Amino acid sequence: MIRNGRLHDGLGAVSHQDLRIEGDRILTIGKALSPLEGEEVFDASGMEVFPGFVQPLSQWGVNGNMTEIRPSSNDNDERSNPIMPELDGFYAFNGRAATYQQLGAFGLTCCGVAPTDNNLFGGTIALFCVDGVNPYKMCLKRECGMMASVTPNLKRTYGARPQPPQTRMWTFTNFALQLRQASQYNEEADKPRDPKLAALKRVVEGQLPLFVSCDSGTSARQVWDILRDYPQVRLVLVNGFGLTGEENWIVEGKIPLLVRVPSNPLDEEAMALDLNGIARLWRQGVPVAFSGTYTNTLGIREDMLWNGIGMMKVLHDSEAVLPMLTSVPARIMGVDDLTGSLREGLRADVVIWSGNPLESYQARILRTYQAGRVIYQEGDEMRCM
Amino acid sequence: MYVIQNGTLYTMDGQGVIQADLRWENGKITEIGPGLSTQGAQVIDAAGKCVTPGFVDAHSHVGGISGRGPNTADVNEITNPLTPELDAYYAINPQDKIFETVIRQGITTSCIAPGSANVVCGWVVAYKSAGKARVVRRPAALKAAMGINPKGCYAARNQAPMTRMAIANILRTYLRDVREYMDKKAAAQGDPDKLPKYDLGLEHGIPVLEKQIPLKVHSYMHDMMTLLEIAKEFDILVTVDHAQGASDYLEELNDPHIHGVIFGPTSEPLFPGEGGKLDYECCKGLDDEGVPVSVMTDGPVTTVDLLLFEMGECVRRGMDPVRALAMVTSNAARIVGVYDRVGSLTVGKDADILIWSKMPTLAADAVLEQVFIDGERVYQKEEG
Repeated sequence: MIRNGRLHDGLGAVSHQDLRIEGDRILTIGKALSPLEGEEVFDASGMEVFPGFVQPLSQWGVNGNMTEIRPSSNDNDERSNPIMPELDGFYAFNGRAATYQQLGAFGLTCCGVAPTDNNLFGGTIALFCVDGVNPYKMCLKRECGMMASVTPNLKRTYGARPQPPQTRMWTFTNFALQLRQASQYNEEADKPRDPKLAALKRVVEGQLPLFVSCDSGTSARQVWDILRDYPQVRLVLVNGFGLTGEENWIVEGKIPLLVRVPSNPLDEEAMALDLNGIARLWRQGVPVAFSGTYTNTLGIREDMLWNGIGMMKVLHDSEAVLPMLTSVPARIMGVDDLTGSLREGLRADVVIWSGNPLESYQARILRTYQAGRVIYQEGDEMRCM
Repeated sequence: MYVIQNGTLYTMDGQGVIQADLRWENGKITEIGPGLSTQGAQVIDAAGKCVTPGFVDAHSHVGGISGRGPNTADVNEITNPLTPELDAYYAINPQDKIFETVIRQGITTSCIAPGSANVVCGWVVAYKSAGKARVVRRPAALKAAMGINPKGCYAARNQAPMTRMAIANILRTYLRDVREYMDKKAAAQGDPDKLPKYDLGLEHGIPVLEKQIPLKVHSYMHDMMTLLEIAKEFDILVTVDHAQGASDYLEELNDPHIHGVIFGPTSEPLFPGEGGKLDYECCKGLDDEGVPVSVMTDGPVTTVDLLLFEMGECVRRGMDPVRALAMVTSNAARIVGVYDRVGSLTVGKDADILIWSKMPTLAADAVLEQVFIDGERVYQKEEG
């Protein structure tokens, strides 16, 4: 039981309550709970109890230990064909490699693995715990969505070979064409089976959300225009570059935004991110989540926290920012009934901070639980690879 | 003439943290004290705000790397592992748009070094982010590199250095050659017939051997002990740049040959090899030992606001917020050799000044509101 802490539920509320963990779940949340016999009690007086951060698109576990005995250790980057919706991001994840980074010490309890932005359709996205060995045991959800990209990364990847896409025309035309063909595809009647269209059929029919990485507000709008023909598609806009807050179509469609920040100031498309614009959309009811840095193929362990701090400089309200790192990404990934907030019955993905890290740099992590298991506590030796 | 009124001044010199007014004129700080006269001055009300010196980024490549694609890294000449004759000054495009981003992060002076492909890379320049006279110190150091960068660049070509053995050898041989060259020059006593043939690469090493500038060395983990051995052998000053793993060597680094330690950039995961340790805690450890320590962006290709995040993460690991601020002001300026000009709010120094909504190394949501370089306003936060 975690007693006397300030509980931030990740949904926007904060209260002084106790929290009882049993097994891998949050069993009870309430005021002045009495300890049960034999129960371990953590006195969190003066401390802040957070849900673990949920990073939807990450590189954790993907690069292995970043070197293999042969090249191509980047397992989510299949640059052999720009249209690969039939791939499954699940297979890119190496549990031990993620565990080695000690992500619990940085407040993270869940990380998503998606195909890179280098393909028009890259494959499905999976979500994992951050500490464990067996990807099947670590996986919270296997098909959270389909990853797509209309960014210039496609041109950069294939254009030099030379091979399509070399232009935005190709990118958007084929984005529309693939969806059209998928909508007309009949798995029973059409032989031989087309695994690409079969995978996209589930997107067109709304069974699988479509995450589209866009490099500008114009790109995002063009994607939306194409998707108007497919009203069942559940769009998630990835990055948010160039959005000003005046995009009424995002507000009206309540289209979730998965924001990534630039990893590199020379990246002009990413530097068009304006968190003031994102905040304007958020104020109009648009769900906003953060997800680290754009096309950083390595990952920064502080990514989610630093994203939150960046948004704090705009909103100055930690209860408004915390859901963007926890419950909203969990909802976008379709796991809000499992994690991302402190509610009875959910997984006990809980982080105890000495202060509020969205407000003060003096806040330290004292203990991190992943599904009820302590995966980090203050004083643990930090690993050296 | 400007006067900042009612602010909390983090002077970063002997005056400490004070409530006072600050005046500057013609680019230089002219007076600090309570209730200064505002006659003839533009007045900035900084009530409730924090005023700090402009940040000094002690290790950067901004202005020397312009973007994607081949030959855009004018700061990294990967053709010969020994290029002491080069000078980062020539790599810098003063009109590079990156300086706008640099200013928005509060960085008013960057110590711009050649990239670390070569064992000896060339001269380093301390450079302002804006203004009429951008060079603050040239040379500020001679850049060198150990470890994976030179190995990685030349091993692929079957050229030396392919190993740390060869790196130590190349570095030591160069310094020996410089010393020999200096001895020959001294022995010639100005006689042109006896002077050794002019060698720009060796000339660039003379201020290092004379301890006028440090050798600025990309060195991680155990490489820094090799570096210390060489520094003692030649009795030179060195800065330990990047310095991941320095927490393993706190006592050893407290040595008169270690001019400073410049930690970072930290915007990466654990890597195998020299990037295997990300020990922010070394900064507090070094500071407690009395070793001058700083953090860096290694810009331009690292996360925006990295200096703030690095200082903040050091505070999270127990460093005092004002000591953390010293890492990018007074410490950094001393390490770079420009403390006579910048790095503190002191009468007579350049008016490189930042105004923050809150204390930037403590409050996560502190916003940079105004930046002045040489007394001129170069950034003002937009309203809303």
